[in-house]
Amino acid sequence: MASDEALLIETIIQVSAAILLSPLYQGIHEKLKAFVEGRRGPSFLQPYYDIFKLLKKEVVVTENSSFLFIYTPYVVFGIYLLISFLIPVVYPSPIYLTPTVDFLGGALLFSLASFLKLISSVESGSNFVALGVSRVLSFIFFSEATLITVFFGVALITGTNNPYVTLHYLTQDISHYFQLDHVLITVSFFMLWLFETGKLPAESPGLSEMGMIDDALLYEYSGKLLGILKWGSYVKQYLLGSVLLNVFLFPWLLQTGPLGALLDVFIMFLKWLLLILISVIINTTLAKLRLFKVQDFLAVSFILSVFSLIVTVLIG
Amino acid sequence: MVNAQLLELISASIIVSALYIQGQAYFKPTIYAQAIQSALISVLAFYLGFALNLIDYVILGVTIVVLRSFIITYFLFRGLKAKPGIRESTRGVASELVVNLAFFFLAVFILYYFVLGRIGLTTEAGTATLTIFSFILFFQGLFLIVTRRSTIAQIIGFIEEENSIVLFGILTIPIPFLIEVSIFLDVLGLVVITSLLTLQKLEHTRLEELMG
Repeated sequence: MASDEALLIETIIQVSAAILLSPLYQGIHEKLKAFVEGRRGPSFLQPYYDIFKLLKKEVVVTENSSFLFIYTPYVVFGIYLLISFLIPVVYPSPIYLTPTVDFLGGALLFSLASFLKLISSVESGSNFVALGVSRVLSFIFFSEATLITVFFGVALITGTNNPYVTLHYLTQDISHYFQLDHVLITVSFFMLWLFETGKLPAESPGLSEMGMIDDALLYEYSGKLLGILKWGSYVKQYLLGSVLLNVFLFPWLLQTGPLGALLDVFIMFLKWLLLILISVIINTTLAKLRLFKVQDFLAVSFILSVFSLIVTVLIG
Repeated sequence: MVNAQLLELISASIIVSALYIQGQAYFKPTIYAQAIQSALISVLAFYLGFALNLIDYVILGVTIVVLRSFIITYFLFRGLKAKPGIRESTRGVASELVVNLAFFFLAVFILYYFVLGRIGLTTEAGTATLTIFSFILFFQGLFLIVTRRSTIAQIIGFIEEENSIVLFGILTIPIPFLIEVSIFLDVLGLVVITSLLTLQKLEHTRLEELMG
């Protein structure tokens, strides 16, 4: 098979796995969490049902909203779709569009999506959303800084900010995996992932208005737009989680070649089960944090990432 | 043969324990954290002692673990006067941690580029850059003293500073004689100071000590 065709197949597998399987992991997480808590819980396909239901519903838009409110969900989803080409979320070698941006570019795209979500939700003019946005902003000034610092850290460790090189560097030798700077940055990114995907035992997504962090941004959205935003947040969770697994926590086992790419989807599924298990254990065993403690949690994550930078630069 | 990665790992754990102390408002876990921090330093001393076959390190390790992890911890708990649930009212852990980070980040970079990088410090194990951890710990201790008002937190800040000197001495292989002597005197002094201060009062308000 010509290498171009192989590349195309690998690209299709990676992107479609990221887009189509991302709601499944959320479903499995919720099901497993319910199981540990002694509840029956929703079906693990529930996120798919929700998305299909919302995509069929009509959209209600407030009078004050501008075009930003209507088009942002599509742009945000497009950004996540683009990121799924750029970072090793399924396949361990570069695919189409990968050379477009580097690791830092990926981080900036994540930040752009967050910014657009914030600005568009404020456009609705709702007081509750404004409160939610202010709450989110009081947290994400740390999380976005940590995200960029973590990617700086990875770039400094390997001397390049190409995530595929990092993946290769880590799998080359076990001692690279246990380097202090890598350990610190992995802990920091794991903490960030817990916050970014609502896995922190602080918020109660969908249950309590006062406990909402990210969900407060979607409050005025309805129908198809809400469906796309929700799907986008599942994709974001998948992208960040897969980067955490492939570049930081568990970089091994991924295969190359078109058949290898298919196998990678299954390997990623197993890796995700491990991540979900860790997340569920954290979620169900730790006492709920008070909301303002999220800042402290993120401050620790930020400090660990900067500490890793110090170790990388000064100790080497 | 010294494993530099192991030294880095233990030294980084010491820094993480200092960060924990900075973020913790309750006294009981703070005191335990300083005991663990001192124990980690003694682990480092024991490791180097056995790896390099230096008896000084082993003696130092035993001294630290006995005096700092046990005796000072005992005196600090006695200073709490059997009220382990009490805490200090801290204002904004996140902001304190970030200012702390900015403080030690800047201080360490200035130290590294203007002092350590120029004097060309070399040690037998070739681990000169590791001494940077001791400076980070030193600035953490200093910052703890500045930001807290309670006697116990300030004493722990002082212990952190002492620990940083010990850490510097340990990582400057072999230990310079001057540091060895000062460590011994400091350790003795610490016990006396801790026992006296904690018996006096638990909290200090601003400028109180400077009033006539």
